[in-house]
Amino acid sequence: MTDQSLAPDAFKRIEQTAQIHGISRPSLSYWQDAWIRLKANRRALYSLYLVVGLLLFTFLGPLIWQIDPSVQDVDQISQPPFASRTVQLVPEYQPWYPSDELSGTGLNFVAPPTTQYVRLTWDKNPAATGGYRVYRNLFPIGVERAYGLPLKETGVAENFFEDRLDLKPRNYFYSIVALDDDGNELHDQVETIEGEVIRVMAPREAISRGMLDADEAPVFGTQYTLPLHPLGTDYLGRDMLARLMHGARVSLFIGFFAPFIFVLVGVAYGSVAGFLGGMTDQALMRFADFVVALPFLLFMILFKVVFAIGPGESGIMPMLLAMVLLLWPATARLVRGQILQIREEGYISASRLLGAKTNYLVLRHMIPNTMGVILVTITFAVPSAIFTEAFLSFIGMGVAPPTPSWGSMCNEGIKTMLTTPHELIFPALLISVTVLAFNLLGDGLRDALDARMRNRE
Amino acid sequence: MLKYAFKRIVQGLITVWFIATATFFAMHAVPGDPLSGDKALSDKTRANLEAKYGLDKPLMTQYGIYLANIAKGDFGISFTQENRKVNDIIREHFPVSATLGILAILFAGAGGILWGALTALYRNRLPDTIIMFLVILGISVPSFVVAAIGQLSLVNINDLAGVSLLPIGGWGTVWHMIVPSMVLGLGTMAYLTRLMRSSMLEIISSDFVRTAKAKGVPPTQIFTRHQLRNAILPVITVLGPSIAGITTGGFVVEIIFAIPGLGRYFVQAVQQLDYTVIMGTTVFFGAFLVFMVILVDIIYGYVDPRVRLE
Amino acid sequence: MSEPILSVSDLAVEFDTYGGTVQAVRGVSFDVAPGKTLAIVGESGCGKSVTVQSIMGLIPIPPGRITAGTAMMNGVNIIGRKTVNGEDIRGGQIGMIFQDPMTSLNPTMNIGNQIAETLIVHRGYSKRKAFNRAIELLDLTKIPEPEKRAKQYPFEFSGGMLQRAMIAMAIACEPQVLIADEPTTALDVTIQAQILDLLADLQRETNMAIILITHDLGVVARMADEVLVMYAGQMVEHGGVDDIFYNSGHPYTMGLRAAMPTNQPGIDARLTPIDGSPPDLFHPPAGCGYCARCPHAMQICVDNPPPTYTLGERHETRCWLHHPDNNTQVEGINKAVGSSP
Repeated sequence: MTDQSLAPDAFKRIEQTAQIHGISRPSLSYWQDAWIRLKANRRALYSLYLVVGLLLFTFLGPLIWQIDPSVQDVDQISQPPFASRTVQLVPEYQPWYPSDELSGTGLNFVAPPTTQYVRLTWDKNPAATGGYRVYRNLFPIGVERAYGLPLKETGVAENFFEDRLDLKPRNYFYSIVALDDDGNELHDQVETIEGEVIRVMAPREAISRGMLDADEAPVFGTQYTLPLHPLGTDYLGRDMLARLMHGARVSLFIGFFAPFIFVLVGVAYGSVAGFLGGMTDQALMRFADFVVALPFLLFMILFKVVFAIGPGESGIMPMLLAMVLLLWPATARLVRGQILQIREEGYISASRLLGAKTNYLVLRHMIPNTMGVILVTITFAVPSAIFTEAFLSFIGMGVAPPTPSWGSMCNEGIKTMLTTPHELIFPALLISVTVLAFNLLGDGLRDALDARMRNRE
Repeated sequence: MLKYAFKRIVQGLITVWFIATATFFAMHAVPGDPLSGDKALSDKTRANLEAKYGLDKPLMTQYGIYLANIAKGDFGISFTQENRKVNDIIREHFPVSATLGILAILFAGAGGILWGALTALYRNRLPDTIIMFLVILGISVPSFVVAAIGQLSLVNINDLAGVSLLPIGGWGTVWHMIVPSMVLGLGTMAYLTRLMRSSMLEIISSDFVRTAKAKGVPPTQIFTRHQLRNAILPVITVLGPSIAGITTGGFVVEIIFAIPGLGRYFVQAVQQLDYTVIMGTTVFFGAFLVFMVILVDIIYGYVDPRVRLE
Repeated sequence: MSEPILSVSDLAVEFDTYGGTVQAVRGVSFDVAPGKTLAIVGESGCGKSVTVQSIMGLIPIPPGRITAGTAMMNGVNIIGRKTVNGEDIRGGQIGMIFQDPMTSLNPTMNIGNQIAETLIVHRGYSKRKAFNRAIELLDLTKIPEPEKRAKQYPFEFSGGMLQRAMIAMAIACEPQVLIADEPTTALDVTIQAQILDLLADLQRETNMAIILITHDLGVVARMADEVLVMYAGQMVEHGGVDDIFYNSGHPYTMGLRAAMPTNQPGIDARLTPIDGSPPDLFHPPAGCGYCARCPHAMQICVDNPPPTYTLGERHETRCWLHHPDNNTQVEGINKAVGSSP
């Protein structure tokens, strides 16, 4: 730096004009500030959208997709989404009288396999001194040599078989196992064939489904299309989408309503304890401690038995009652702690000094200052209530059939997990997504409402 | 410390009494009575059975007998399984549930502390993001779905390997225990990971860790002696309640993996309305959980000098 | 002035934050000699703590970053190093004590072990020997019943006791430099005096250099030989303690003095605060950092950073008022005898 570069008025005094004590930002209320912080939290915001989406699914969904969730579509049982919906018109069933001429071509299908019947024939095997055993499996025969469902044992002379047992439009693996004199299976004398069964229907059935007029002449081979089930059907042929929408009502009803009530009870109990203080407070909180110590799920189950379900009831109310009876103490403790803490705050004393009445203190200071904590408690209680409902329904202690709930749908779906996984996947996915959304929303709310917790995850 | 332990145990006994009382009156509030089952009984048989189970006495007398029996450790005789003592049922099935539960809590505790510490050390970097994503999943997926997925993957792994690496159900050997206990502990592990992470983050930026650095203590020693030990404290406090969650969550795992535990038996007893078994198992489970919580609290006292010395 | 034991020059430190890069320290130089005390004063956030923590290697990297400067100790630049001439720096050559003794000690480890840890790490003592030495150190820092106290935990100590234990920990390995980062801020006034006396006693016995960070000019007057006044991450004035109090050459130092209570009778008892708050270091001002709050600000101060003017032996300041072309005389400020830009 050289002195020559200095301007002539470099050392002229300047007046301090800048506003030193100005307030540059507009003042925001607690809730405005919380809302801004929540909006800034991307995860929480997306969770909020997700929750709104779930509510739309639950309440608007059934208005758009007006399928009765309890109606059974017996032609489409346990069908995954996007499965073929075509059905072919075929003649009525005619009994089969096979002759010996069929042999000499190995294990094969006599006619294309359909849902009406699957007819098999195979070469006679000299080793099969005790006849044959016919198996049907849904999967290829693996290392464990599980052939599947044993259908029939045929005599030595019988080298044919007709399967009419509950056939579904899908792939089947038929195995013919030769038997020795004692009826033991000869594992090296096994033949397996894979066949794709197609869906067919006889005219009488087609008329009863309304696809064919009674006086119309049936044209065999005509393709008809069965009703659409976007998410497939369950093991009774009920529409999954409709059941999920109606199940959402049960799950979300319990998920929202139970926390709402037990938080309310807890708030009332906790504030009474916090306000009265002294011996009353001690006694009330001791009792709450005992209720906390009750093993939750055991007593949920116990109470479900106590508030027994009458005929025709769904069992939602007993579950709600049991939850409220068992879950209020946590909120009560929290609110009591908050009230005790706030009571000691300077601004309460200040307000009291200025002549505020108890009612005013409660309405103006206590409740607004505990609202944040209560809101966060409710948000975290929702996923745990949904979990509880699902758990109870899963072990068969929840809502009674035929009322669908996500938990009971999972319970039904898990039995056919290997063959038709969609019956488990959809309700499980909805439970997980809902719980996830509420957990993230709860995190976001907690961070937004409590600046002290901002660093915690 | 001894005084503290004594006080906790007395509290625990009162809590068990409360659980027993609540169970007794809840079960007696059930509409109908245990004998009005499926088969019609003659008046004489009925009177005999009522006498056998003591149902002919006034309610308060029954309550007194019930409490006296519990104090002696006698939970009575099953209603549906003739002459089978509830004590025998518990003795037979509880060790299975307890083994499963203890393995699960060990798995959850060790995993939670390890992953939690790791995510905190790698905060906002790739390992943290991946683990925390899995943790959120672990918290959001219901236990029965986790169990189903666990069993399904076991089937597939066995299929791929071409031999049966691990049994997909049942009980007996160590190999039967691995997957069910992992499945059972997973949710709790996710929860503990979250807790450990936030606790560890708080400790990492704490003043005393800075002091340890200023003293020149090497990083590994700072981690073990200063960070880990202090960060574990909040995790230990929730371990007690977690045991309750894990034991009852065990019902589902026991059902899905066909494990002959007490939980499965309890669900079965509830479905059959086997009163004495329901009451006995509830009180026994309740007492077990209460004393596990007390045990954890006492252990906590040994780890945290602030509790031990007060 | 004897040879300095620690000499820092042109230190600059930045932090990456969500809001941008904070230039927390912008070229600070000082040195400190054995047996002497250097006080670093300034408002909260002016970079005092960051300066000493970067010398100790305690700032987290990232988000922190030391962009320039050296800290020479025994002829070696110790920035980014763990050892100097085979001796550990942290805890060995340089000891450090912190502001809040309540939170600065590990709550689950007893006091004796926490002191012993330093000796085990740096001196390779056995656990037993280190613990015995810890008891001696507690005695040295005037803690009564040291054998009993060594087995106690931080929650059983009072604040003053804890700070004594902290000092015992910091001097365990007989460091050449002791950094005290606001050692008395969290303590009440009578305890403050005891702790300061203890530090002074220990300094006399061991001849260590002390770097004392504080915003309390009373503490400065009591303890310091030299003073470094910092503002917005930069040195604004540096000099002997008398120069700073009676002969200060910077409006900020004067402002600090005016804001300090005195017990001289006859002087107007009203304290004069410095209006406003320090500049935001995301975008440090182009000219003098103090310009916006300075009652004597001039046109040149807005855009041109002031050079360093030497006012006397080991007394220098950064202020345009000392420029030879400036004809305005400000009351209380003595013009420089020469400039050293």
